[in-house]
Amino acid sequence: MIDWIAYAWLIPVFPFLAFVLIGLLPKRTLGWEDGGGYAVAGAAGALVLSMLVIWDVLNGQTLTHDAPRSTWLIIGDFRIEFGIWVDQLTAVMLVVISVVGTLVVIYSGGYMHEEGVGRRRYYAEIMLFISVMYGLVIADNYLQMFIFWELVGLCSYLLIGFWYEKPSAASAAKRAFIVTRVGDIMLMAGLIILFKYVGTLDFAVLFGQGAGSIVSRGEIPQDMLTLATALIFGGAIGKSAQFPLHEWLPDAMEGPTTVSALIHAATMVKAGVYLTARTYPLLVQTPESLLFVAIIGGVTALIAATCALAANDIKRVLAYSTVSQLGYMILALGAGGYLVIHAHEAGGYAAAMFHLMNHGFFKALLFLCAGSVIHSVGTNDMRSMGGLRGKMPITSITMLIGSVAIAGIPPLSGFWSKDEVLAAVYEGGEFDPVFFALWAMGVATAFLTAFYMFRMWFMTFAGAPRSEVHAHESPKIMTVPLMILAGLALVSGFALFVGEGFMGFIERSIEDLPVTPLHESLTDIAVRIFTDPLTYVSLVLAVAGILLAYRVYYLPGFDRSVFAVGVRGKLQRALENRWYISQFYDDFAVKVWYGFALVADWFDIYVIDGIVNGFAYLGANMGATIRKAQSGNVQRYASLIILGIVVLLVFILYVLPWGGW
Amino acid sequence: MIPLEYWLILSSLMFVIGAYGVMTRKNAIVVLMCIEIMLNAANINLVAFSSYYSTLHPAFGTDVSGQVFALFSIAIAAAEVAVGLAILLSVYRRYQTIDVDKINILRW
Repeated sequence: MIDWIAYAWLIPVFPFLAFVLIGLLPKRTLGWEDGGGYAVAGAAGALVLSMLVIWDVLNGQTLTHDAPRSTWLIIGDFRIEFGIWVDQLTAVMLVVISVVGTLVVIYSGGYMHEEGVGRRRYYAEIMLFISVMYGLVIADNYLQMFIFWELVGLCSYLLIGFWYEKPSAASAAKRAFIVTRVGDIMLMAGLIILFKYVGTLDFAVLFGQGAGSIVSRGEIPQDMLTLATALIFGGAIGKSAQFPLHEWLPDAMEGPTTVSALIHAATMVKAGVYLTARTYPLLVQTPESLLFVAIIGGVTALIAATCALAANDIKRVLAYSTVSQLGYMILALGAGGYLVIHAHEAGGYAAAMFHLMNHGFFKALLFLCAGSVIHSVGTNDMRSMGGLRGKMPITSITMLIGSVAIAGIPPLSGFWSKDEVLAAVYEGGEFDPVFFALWAMGVATAFLTAFYMFRMWFMTFAGAPRSEVHAHESPKIMTVPLMILAGLALVSGFALFVGEGFMGFIERSIEDLPVTPLHESLTDIAVRIFTDPLTYVSLVLAVAGILLAYRVYYLPGFDRSVFAVGVRGKLQRALENRWYISQFYDDFAVKVWYGFALVADWFDIYVIDGIVNGFAYLGANMGATIRKAQSGNVQRYASLIILGIVVLLVFILYVLPWGGW
Repeated sequence: MIPLEYWLILSSLMFVIGAYGVMTRKNAIVVLMCIEIMLNAANINLVAFSSYYSTLHPAFGTDVSGQVFALFSIAIAAAEVAVGLAILLSVYRRYQTIDVDKINILRW
């Protein structure tokens, strides 16, 4: 029996190898789809090894405090060590990355077929992206994690700007990079604070097994830890597209749809949630940060859901739904921390990770379906789609499954995790009434989610075609991944009831915290879910959302022009302009920042350049004046020498002793 | 025995007179002569301090190194005058003058 978990460090190596090969091999040896073969092999290798590692974790093995490490740098007494950290949380991330990553790469074989020579760059970048994301989730210290964190940002920049000839794609890529950079700087500041006080960024030391927390050991004052955790969460705000830094994600739709699927379901944005979950042992020591986390999550969920209502670009709807669902996860993490502190329960934490896994599957499904539609119709605009159900049966059914899953209708996956999230937030209300308000926002988001997802589905697949396109079903290489993901979206919710149950499994990753193990049996969980009236509140609202979408966008006879006048018109335009948040950033950049730039420019020209030019002017003019002393008259030279000697003598004999030397 | 101070005052006077001449006289030969005065002022100092040393430390007997330095200095001064006069001759052949105010082309 091989101890697979010890080989977890090999997981990122497979895709990385594929990246190197695709990048360096001569063109004629690349074979199928210009490197697609290598990409599938790299992703599949990582998938197989991930599954073996996950199997070990399911059997109770972990590599955490006692993992083998290797030294990277030694500077005097200071060492930087790298190692791997595989626990239940890592396992959940590995499931999502490996399954979604592999299916996306296979799907790319069909979707990117017409891309021509660009495919080589595409596959190389995709492989690097998947590789560094694996590296991020198995890192055992914040520094190693931060390196991969930045690489993930770089890869998403490259892939969002894949069609860099298009100005909109180039600017979206820049925007994604720069906006996430704001978060990254906060993350770095948080890590620097931790490092300054504790002297290391290793999870093993920071999370303190047995020896007590770093606050109780007196290594860091409470207020600095609060600041550090809030700043680390700032990194997650940027990466996971949380309010107010969420606007980059909808713009990131400029990349190929497969890239969007990867970013939204498996890699980039999930890194922020992972970071927050990974920081949990620190976060639960700082209730203020937790409240901040929860409020950001709740606000993001609601704002993004409202923005999705009026979007006409099919990918933009999905992008806002991702932002909104990420808000759910963050909200659950914030509320879950309160539960850990006050009730010693891991419910919220587990719910967030459960939602992350389920969301990974159904969001990848939805994006790949959207990709299939775009591939066939040739446009992103839902207003020129319609009536595709007959022409694209597989896509329309799999997308319906994804939509039902995200809307939260049982027994599909979204229902179980969303219900756990909302239950955890409601439970948090016992300890801080703010959570009741956040719960109300979450429930409202559930209603809006159901509405806009079905608005999208009806606009795309139902009714009569609104434009003259000859749509056709996508090739098998694209529809088979869709069917696999649809299957996962159908059943992944039942992970709650398999084996020890998802909640009991994930909870063991924070068992060092004061968490009492869940005493509920698996049937208890089911009974609790279905006897809790709150479950029916969100369920009824979700169904209402679907019915409303059915009434407005499917049944004939609804006059949608009411959205164009009066208060409703104003609201509609505000939604179409995404609450003017994006516009605010643009105005901010154009007016305020430009003004600041003008000041800086003035300062540069007149002060900085003034000093530099002044010195040059001084030198030139002084030279012109002093050279006159070089008169060629020997006697004057001699006089000056004698004068100099006299001055020196007077200085040494009288001035220096007078001054005390 | 003439005290040391007298010798120093004499040599200072000679040095200052020489320096004044070097700075003010126009004729290059006079300038050279003034340089000789300055050199001899230094020689007087050397000899004076040499003899003063002997009176301060009679146990060491008579020390003549100061006098020897003065002799060297006089020999070098002779060589210097030879070189200086040779330069002046060359300058005169070229410019038909030895007025140092007029020999000033080496300048800005």
